[in-house]
Amino acid sequence: MKLLLVGMNHRSAPLELRERMAVDDPVPVLHKLVAGDEVDEAVLLSTCNRVEVVVLTRDAESARLRLRSLFRRDLAPEGAGVGEVDLDACLYEHRDGDAMRHVLRVASALDSMVVGEPQILGQTKDAYRAAAQCGASGPILGRLFQHAFSTAKRVRTETRIAERPVSVARVAVGLARQIFEDFAEKRALLVGAGEMIELALSALREAGLTAIQVANRTPERASRLAARFGATAHGLDELPELLAHADVVLTSIGGREPWLTRAVAERALGARRERPILVIDIGVPRNADPAIDALDDVYRYDLDDLAGIADENAEERRREQARAETIVEAEQQRFDGWFAALRAVPTIKHLRTRVEAIRVRELEKAFARLAWDETTRDAVDVLTRSLVNKILHAPLTRLRASAEREEGMAHLEAARMLFALDDEEGVAPPEPGSDGEGPEQT
Amino acid sequence: MVAGLLYLTAALYLLAGVLAGVGFTLHRRAPTRAAVGVLAAGAIAHGVSFSLLHTLSPAPPLTHLPSALSFMAWVGTVAFLILAWRARLSGLVALVAPMAFLGVAAAALGGPASGGDDVFGDGSLPHAHVLLASAGLALLGLAGLAGLLFLAEHRRLKRKRPLSAGASWPSLEALDRAGAFAVAAGFPLLTLGVVTGALWGHSVVGSYFSGDAHEIFCLIAWAIYGVLVSLRFGAHQPARRLALSSVAGFAILAIALIGVEIVA
Repeated sequence: MKLLLVGMNHRSAPLELRERMAVDDPVPVLHKLVAGDEVDEAVLLSTCNRVEVVVLTRDAESARLRLRSLFRRDLAPEGAGVGEVDLDACLYEHRDGDAMRHVLRVASALDSMVVGEPQILGQTKDAYRAAAQCGASGPILGRLFQHAFSTAKRVRTETRIAERPVSVARVAVGLARQIFEDFAEKRALLVGAGEMIELALSALREAGLTAIQVANRTPERASRLAARFGATAHGLDELPELLAHADVVLTSIGGREPWLTRAVAERALGARRERPILVIDIGVPRNADPAIDALDDVYRYDLDDLAGIADENAEERRREQARAETIVEAEQQRFDGWFAALRAVPTIKHLRTRVEAIRVRELEKAFARLAWDETTRDAVDVLTRSLVNKILHAPLTRLRASAEREEGMAHLEAARMLFALDDEEGVAPPEPGSDGEGPEQT
Repeated sequence: MVAGLLYLTAALYLLAGVLAGVGFTLHRRAPTRAAVGVLAAGAIAHGVSFSLLHTLSPAPPLTHLPSALSFMAWVGTVAFLILAWRARLSGLVALVAPMAFLGVAAAALGGPASGGDDVFGDGSLPHAHVLLASAGLALLGLAGLAGLLFLAEHRRLKRKRPLSAGASWPSLEALDRAGAFAVAAGFPLLTLGVVTGALWGHSVVGSYFSGDAHEIFCLIAWAIYGVLVSLRFGAHQPARRLALSSVAGFAILAIALIGVEIVA
């Protein structure tokens, strides 16, 4: 059995290509994959940053060709204009140990664009769940993904890789948490309706802030954004009044002069009885006058401040990544051992079947010759079964254990040769009374 | 037995302080959380020691400064634990635990109080006075510690320095609320302590105010509290200024307490 992973991610393929390859519903693709002879089990992971298929196969080369064909023909829609050469260059492959490590790294968010980001673990779980529910994932990939989830949990609990936010929106939420205790009773004012504001709005919503107001120069855009997030829309002329009730202000609008001057801030503080305001200014040029820093209850952060914090946090995450990689390496070796031991399963199964067949055949011969009653027959049946189990126990245990090591393959070969497991009918035991050195009978 | 419990309490408070220090230095939440747990264990041992002390002698020698400090440390610790249970305040343990340790260490090393039951006389007034006034002072101390951490956090945020990963510092709002709670709860307690003290003095020496150093200290503390209450709940002041006044009030009180001890 071989593990094979073929896919593309944010490092290997441009966004346009990843967008075209994105799979909304993996079930039909998975059904198609496992219906063929090349693939025994499959899981498909599709996020905005990656599209990957991991499969279990008995013929790695056929499976590789099948997966490449999947990307080229099935995932790329008709007329999408995905050139074959370009696509091949964007795809990467990992086999066995490397594939295991890759799955573990992906689930642990070590392969993510933002290392340590929390979404990928949920996305990986969703991908596995979809594959398991449609029957595409079996016991081996099931074990691999469960192992990946527990590895991701270890990485999160034993390192600080996910503790520091690195996006501007999350840094803003982190800062708000350092100032305010209970988000449920706080009010946010978002000035502008651009992408950054939208991301920040989404992050604030996730953090539990529900009272959100959006003010924009173009009220229609503010209304559209507000409607999507259940916020209220306002014009810029309402800013002084809105500011008096806002605890968190995110601003990103154009204009040469800052709208949030010291005088405006002082008036707002007076109206709100000196309750603090967090101002996140992501506008260029700046929307908030740095002079407001002199006010005790105003905490202002501009893009440079936020970028500085995000960079420092990213650096901390990179330091933690080395520790996380060590955990992944150890967990990969553990899984590798279990996976290697699977090589012994067919041989062990075969050997057991063969010995059991001999036992049953010899018992039937004996029963035909001897006039034993039912009780005696049962006792002899139990006795022979017990003898067989006891004789096979040590060799089978050692075969299973050695399969995890390098020399395991040689031991398996030796077992197959000694017990003639590759012969059609195997080697029949010598007849009673013979010296055991006679010609083989089949 | 009581002495043994006090040593155990001191050890637990010290351990909590060390754990909080480790959490602060390594920027890890786990030691800070453990520090709060150990502090709670210390508070239980401390409470048991007071209960035993009361059983052995119905008039505990709380007029003895080390014993009074120990009681204040216990009230402050319990108040902190209640606050930390309600809000993200566990980071404050880094200041509360060392202060609690100093309070208990003073009692453990200070030996038995002199004076004893004679100082108290009969009735429940002296007990009420000592307990109420000590609890009020302890809460003022807690307000001061919350103010101190608020100022440090405010400074960090104004300087735009990121919070260390894994640090579990309280939010400014939680610290401000803790200060408000301590002042709001402590002022009535101290007021009642002053009133019961005056009544007690009248019943013993026939006068509500005799100019004793302890009485003057109580009045200074009450005046400081009065200023803090009017600042916090009367005029709308920036939170930083309130924190600063809490720290200043605590510092003045500590200096006054030392002065009273020298005079007494």
